[in-house]
Amino acid sequence: MNEGLVVLVRAIIGFFSLLIFARILGKEQISQLTFFDYILGITIGSIASELTVDLSSRAWPHWVGLITWASLAYLMEIISLKWRYAAKYIEGEPAIVIMNGRIMEDVLRKMKIRISDIMVLLRNKGVFDLNEVDYVIMEPNGQISVLKKSEHLPLTPKDMNISVSPTGISTELIYDGEIVEENLREMNKDTKWLMKELKKRGIKDVSEVFLATLNDAGSLYVDKYKDNIKKVKDIGDYKGPY
Amino acid sequence: MRRFLTIAIPIVTLALFICIMLSGSILKRPLGKDDDVPQAIENLIQKINNDDWDKVNSEIDNLEKAWKKVIHRVQFSLERDEINDLSMNIARLRGAALAEDKGNSLTELLEAYNHWKEMGK
Repeated sequence: MNEGLVVLVRAIIGFFSLLIFARILGKEQISQLTFFDYILGITIGSIASELTVDLSSRAWPHWVGLITWASLAYLMEIISLKWRYAAKYIEGEPAIVIMNGRIMEDVLRKMKIRISDIMVLLRNKGVFDLNEVDYVIMEPNGQISVLKKSEHLPLTPKDMNISVSPTGISTELIYDGEIVEENLREMNKDTKWLMKELKKRGIKDVSEVFLATLNDAGSLYVDKYKDNIKKVKDIGDYKGPY
Repeated sequence: MRRFLTIAIPIVTLALFICIMLSGSILKRPLGKDDDVPQAIENLIQKINNDDWDKVNSEIDNLEKAWKKVIHRVQFSLERDEINDLSMNIARLRGAALAEDKGNSLTELLEAYNHWKEMGK
């Protein structure tokens, strides 16, 4: 038995199976995961690693375990989406820990959190004075959301009665030296226009450009491969091996 | 077409993986002339029963050759211990055949046959 080859094949099976299951399970960001989601991730990862290297058992039972866990996670997701009552039970719900600037001690006690923990999370959000805070909500993923009192919110153009034109989102027109034709069409532009804009910036060929983006307001950002920066600033604070 | 490929590729990939993982019970069976493990065991049992010890060694070589061919096919779907157990049987069988020990030889052969039968289940 060629153990190296068998581990290689089983690793490929585990890797691509996990990739497919992860795509099916969805695009939740790491910051949005609940505690159970973390445990789920660790368990599925552990099963996948055993599928890869545990030659003392067959790959099939591990793969069945993997697909079972992934299917159950998917089922929980579907149930949470369709049935709000179950979602509340499975995922929990946000809880207001500070309301109208007042600490909700009962809520803290129920959630088994100390106010000092809330203070840590508030400081991470840049809030050092509880007088500035109107609402603090503890989300199911353990993060907090903070609404400051209106007098402490940052000034917006609307507050100053200044009208601004919308910028929209930036779309990539050139990526890694190649034109993204689809995006160019979506932005109602053509190659002729793009080359004209590049020429204005002293660029003769698309291959010189690392990234070019355009937003709805018409602002074009271009970054060339040759940045003409002699030395990148070293922001390290002490000497190292390199 | 794009949507079809987006759905078809993962399904085909997973189906391929399932086939690889469950192929042991099918691929252990003889596909050609010289990879028939149960037949080789049967031949050996016959020769040992007839005390034809001169031909037993060459038959054991045939069994080993057949088994080595089968290992290459089934190694991805079976446990390492299942494969090693049968290999150990063949090794002990050689010893028993050298000693012309009928009892142990037959024991090893029947155990080897049982291992082969249970493989992939």
